[in-house]
Amino acid sequence: MKQFNHKTMVTGIIYSFMLSMLLIQYAFAHKVTVFAWVEGDTVYTESKFSGGKKTKNALIEVFDSHGNKILDGRTDDNGSFSFKAPQKSEMKIVLLAGMGHRGEWTITSEDFDNETAQGSQNLSPQASTSIKPDMIKIPNAALEEKKSDPCLTSEDIQSIVETAIKKQLAPVKNKLNKFLAPDSSPSFSDILGGIGYIFGLMGIGAYFNYRKKKE
Amino acid sequence: MHISEGVLSAPVLFTGGAFAAAGTAIGLKSIDYDRIAQVGMLSSTFFVASLIHVNIGPSSVHLILNGIVGLLLGWASFPAILVALTLQSLFFQFGGITALGVNTVNMALPAILCYYLFGALIKKTQTIAIIASFAGGFLSVFFSAVLLGVSLIFTEENFWEVSMLIILSNVPVMIIEGIVTAFCIVFLKKVYPAIFLNMPKEFI
Repeated sequence: MKQFNHKTMVTGIIYSFMLSMLLIQYAFAHKVTVFAWVEGDTVYTESKFSGGKKTKNALIEVFDSHGNKILDGRTDDNGSFSFKAPQKSEMKIVLLAGMGHRGEWTITSEDFDNETAQGSQNLSPQASTSIKPDMIKIPNAALEEKKSDPCLTSEDIQSIVETAIKKQLAPVKNKLNKFLAPDSSPSFSDILGGIGYIFGLMGIGAYFNYRKKKE
Repeated sequence: MHISEGVLSAPVLFTGGAFAAAGTAIGLKSIDYDRIAQVGMLSSTFFVASLIHVNIGPSSVHLILNGIVGLLLGWASFPAILVALTLQSLFFQFGGITALGVNTVNMALPAILCYYLFGALIKKTQTIAIIASFAGGFLSVFFSAVLLGVSLIFTEENFWEVSMLIILSNVPVMIIEGIVTAFCIVFLKKVYPAIFLNMPKEFI
């Protein structure tokens, strides 16, 4: 191409670069995911289109392990939906976001086991935790008196520690739940990998074409 | 635009698969293997285009770029789009392997339609080429939206409402794709006019 001068090429490259910059901020993936976790006997679900857009007013259907529908509901403006688990066993949560978009997440009975184990631990000190605010104040005073206060029993300490740990762990648990949620946006290596496959196929096609020509 | 796994019933999936297989066979026959690089390039363009999202309206829509694939490749769009969709479902979990046939037909058939409607016009003067390529980009998305609505006819109970919603939510994409397609065609005409000299021959 003789008449193909550098100026047009440079302008072209600049234009396509600008276009890609413009588009990169929209560079999100396209599918819908639902993520669910258990807290106590309530199941919380969170739905979004990959790229982070919340799935509003989408249908959520919950099935048990035999495929029978247990209940359904719609997501709110934050893409979340929660329900009281009618049974503590495996269940499948299916999100139908319309236009052929569908996502699912399975809650195993293990998820419930973890929760109930914690729940039952919490149950025993529950009686004493009802007077927790006073109890928390006492140990502070007790500590100042060099831990010699005799009215602090080991159960009290246990319950105080448990509530404190629970409070401290709440944000960690939240983060962990978010971390466990399916990562919906494709990574850069996914994109490059796909392009690589296409070029590879192209190469195979070209190879057979030229081999045929040679013969 | 991609239909997920487990949405469609078996007959719809099989019909889509059969159509996709037929289209791919015709496409593979019609490819000029000296220009296979072009098929690969456009296939990867299509592969990446779906990552570009346009967050307007209630749903989440993305670019498809089947218009430009169709205008430049003709029947070869079928294998190009099939390959790109397969990789999208494997890498990005867009759509699904079982729905591959239906998705391929939904996106490749409009591409070919636009090739027959506008393929000859984009070789003409600048103004005609701009209008024709804009229309090609616009209409290929429109027809894809219509086909998507039709594929969901047995799934969604209120078919008209859903189809209208699909078409309406894709209007921004249609306009953007029209502009992108026109831009690309004009650019190619300027820097690489040879691409239009030996356009794929019409098969039928």
